[in-house]
Amino acid sequence: MTIEWVHPGLLLIFGAWVIPFLKGPLKRVAMLAIPSAALIVCILMDQGTHGVVSVAGQKLVFGRVDDLSLIFSYVFSIIALVGMVYALHVDDDTQHVSALIYAGAALGVTFAGDFLSLYIFWELMAISSVFLVWRRRDRSAVAAGFRYLLVHVVGGLFLLAGIVIQWSQTGSFEFVDLEGSVGTVGWAFILVAFLVNAAVPPFSAWLPDAYPEATVTGAVFMTAFTTKSAVYCLIRGFPGTDLLIWLGAAMALYGVVYAVLENDARRLLAYHIISQVGYMVCGVGIGTELALNGASAHAFAHILYKALLFMGAGAVMQVTGRRKLTEMGGLYKTMPITLGLYMIGAFAISAVPLFSGFVSKSMIVSAAGEEHLSGIFLALTLASAGTFLHTGLKLPYYMFFGKDSGVRAQEPPRNMLVAMALAAVACTVIGVFPSLLYDHLPFDAERLDAHPGSAHGSWKTEYPAGQEAEYSPYTLGHVTATLGMLAFTAWGFFLLLKHLDPKPTISLDTDWFYRRGTGLVARLLGPLAHLERNFIGEIYESVIRRPVLGLAHLVGRFERTVVDRAVAAVGRWTQSLSGVLKTMASGHAQHYALIMAAGLLVLLALAVMSL
Amino acid sequence: MSFLERQLEDPVRFARIKRGFYVFLAVVIAAEIVLPLVFPGDPHHLGFESFPAFGSLYGLISCVAIIVLSKLIGVVWLMKREDHYDD
Repeated sequence: MTIEWVHPGLLLIFGAWVIPFLKGPLKRVAMLAIPSAALIVCILMDQGTHGVVSVAGQKLVFGRVDDLSLIFSYVFSIIALVGMVYALHVDDDTQHVSALIYAGAALGVTFAGDFLSLYIFWELMAISSVFLVWRRRDRSAVAAGFRYLLVHVVGGLFLLAGIVIQWSQTGSFEFVDLEGSVGTVGWAFILVAFLVNAAVPPFSAWLPDAYPEATVTGAVFMTAFTTKSAVYCLIRGFPGTDLLIWLGAAMALYGVVYAVLENDARRLLAYHIISQVGYMVCGVGIGTELALNGASAHAFAHILYKALLFMGAGAVMQVTGRRKLTEMGGLYKTMPITLGLYMIGAFAISAVPLFSGFVSKSMIVSAAGEEHLSGIFLALTLASAGTFLHTGLKLPYYMFFGKDSGVRAQEPPRNMLVAMALAAVACTVIGVFPSLLYDHLPFDAERLDAHPGSAHGSWKTEYPAGQEAEYSPYTLGHVTATLGMLAFTAWGFFLLLKHLDPKPTISLDTDWFYRRGTGLVARLLGPLAHLERNFIGEIYESVIRRPVLGLAHLVGRFERTVVDRAVAAVGRWTQSLSGVLKTMASGHAQHYALIMAAGLLVLLALAVMSL
Repeated sequence: MSFLERQLEDPVRFARIKRGFYVFLAVVIAAEIVLPLVFPGDPHHLGFESFPAFGSLYGLISCVAIIVLSKLIGVVWLMKREDHYDD
């Protein structure tokens, strides 16, 4: 690795360890300086291939820097910084360190040019993020953390197996468009691993299970990295895979259905992450340059507004200690700033004109229209209405307005408000000046080079002229149609309001299979277990356990006779030596000075003699 | 009492807001029907997009469909008591 190129991910991963050694204001400075440094490194970075390391004959590429990896790296480091501002008041180094490592690992995934380095950072993401759940230190949080880890370990194994199979067939670890291997086992395994992290049903239950159980500040980081780095990997490896169109559209609707039923504020938002990532997955599946640009832009916008929404719901949770909609209401009187900032996020996710979602989501929906996919177009537009219905109407209505719960809360700590304001400004600026985002989109009349033999990250124009993504969201028809859709969704909401009252329930999801299904499996496997205890148990006893115990006995005796005595002898020797030293250590300064002077004299004598 | 509180708690003012909302609905749907006739040329790739007031109608239909169908699935199948996984 050259000195000229600094990996921003490693900067976060190693920089994070400084935080536990600092105190007070210095610690807070470091918490902001480390992600800021990563952001600056990303902005100043030159395109090309950096950080190439050869390990055991394999070339690992830690820095594939091109338009696609850059746009994801910008938003990942921005949200790491915003998240740290939000967490400034938290006195828990474990959370800060794991959040920064998590962000660093996401950057590592983004810049990985080969599957091996991708795999390392992929696993690091899972391991570091689970601490953000565990550190809530609630019984339910610990259990949810373990389920989260379980799913991601299985997903990671799929990735590893896929990589190995892919390597055995192609002889290459290069992470490029897998178009050439469509339908092979390796291709399928890698796709499944990416789908697990992107929370595509039926592999999605881990997300609404774990995110609402995370700490108030930890959840903000979680909303950003895992699913969106998976979207990045899908854009890189699986553009134009038809299956993803349908999975993505189904996903967008799935999140909406569950959000109707949900009572936990942050879980409702978590279901809407699935819904929103559905748009991106769908965009990857459509695979035209407009759709892929849309998926990238939507990931960028989504990370900012979803973090803002989680920060708003987290702020309410922080000051009231409540998380269920049935227990909230009437908070607008005492938390107007939180309400205002939350609503900016809600407008952004609902694609209200002048906010970020409007300029990013519509790219994907328009791409579906351009390809004449009417079913997909209608499904995505339906999900859009559902997004506004829940995030823009239901959640704020029951959290801030609705029946007054009698809770008298105050605004959250100032750093939380500042972090929310930063995200809110970003959402609005992108909405008002979309070209700021569009200028950085990767597929500007160019398309990712699909041929593995060529240089990393080179882009090649393959599209005929006249088909460039000269996309403009602010057309008259688009604005009026969107406003009409939103306004009449709001009308429908108020008409059906009494049917929307949240109920104190939870909803079944595919996590049932590993929360309850295991009991069923155990019952089915009962006879097998019996066999195991009697037959295999006997074999185990005589083949493994007894020899191992015998060996352990021998080792124990060696330990007692030889090692123990040696240790005791060293101890005795040290003790007698310290007896001697004790007499020298009188505690009088003049004695020490005398000894030092004597030593100096001896040194001088030696020096003179050697001359 | 804050500005927002006054608007929502006072029945007279609240009724005014409600009226304003209905006027807004009317304006929006009128704009969606009239404006494409006055300024044609918006690119439409799918036939139903040029249906008059497609956005408004589809928004209302979507909203009702989502609430009714989700509630149905929820009540029949998915919604369980909060201690469902606890035993």
